[in-house]
Amino acid sequence: MRRILIIDDEDDIREVAALSLEATAGWKTVTASSGAEGIKLAMAERPDAILMDVMMPGVDGPTTFRTMQENPAIANIPVLLLTAKVQGVDKRRFADLGVAGILFKPFDPLTLAEQIAEALHWKDDAPSVSSQTPSVRSSS
Amino acid sequence: MSNPPDAEIQALLDDLWKRHLPSLVERLDLLERAAAEAASGAISEAMRAEAQSVAHKLAGNLGMFGHPQAGEIAGQIELTLKAPTPETLAGLVPVVARLRQSLDGHL
Repeated sequence: MRRILIIDDEDDIREVAALSLEATAGWKTVTASSGAEGIKLAMAERPDAILMDVMMPGVDGPTTFRTMQENPAIANIPVLLLTAKVQGVDKRRFADLGVAGILFKPFDPLTLAEQIAEALHWKDDAPSVSSQTPSVRSSS
Repeated sequence: MSNPPDAEIQALLDDLWKRHLPSLVERLDLLERAAAEAASGAISEAMRAEAQSVAHKLAGNLGMFGHPQAGEIAGQIELTLKAPTPETLAGLVPVVARLRQSLDGHL
């Protein structure tokens, strides 16, 4: 079963993303509300991928990503940045960071797992998807 | 991927929507206060920045709860507050009113 770390300062985004990934794909999720908390959880949980908001108060997503890259224990975990369409994202700038992909808010909860799987080339990775009963976890 | 019925996921989303309603209403109230201040030409920098942040959050999450039009309007408000001019600020009140109207029946 895939495990995804969701880092976003917005409670509702974390909760909807977690619900979506668990209910549609059967993936396990852990959530963090800041970059610093996210790095700690990445170290402890070693997730298969990280879904992280770009714009967070304090340390933003790109800065958190760079910090992760300096830590060999978690540097290889693929990171997908999550950003609002309205920001007029410079995809090139984020791609140059070395992130695995960029997803846009608002996302469709029914297809978020598919978007992640596609971005990370997990599409044909059957063992990554279980058919377990959906469950809703509270965000941290 | 194995997908449970969409209706089941929608029910879970509806529950989340209800739990986050108080926060949403607070955000709409703040945008209305900011728009009123902007219309009077007396919006503070702190209020402008806070309202921009709130509009940004709404732009990012309303669509995910099935309210894409409201999310688009919130995005317009964010852009107005990000690069304000006296003219655009003066026209903010009806835009915020449209945002609330677009959520009629869901608040």
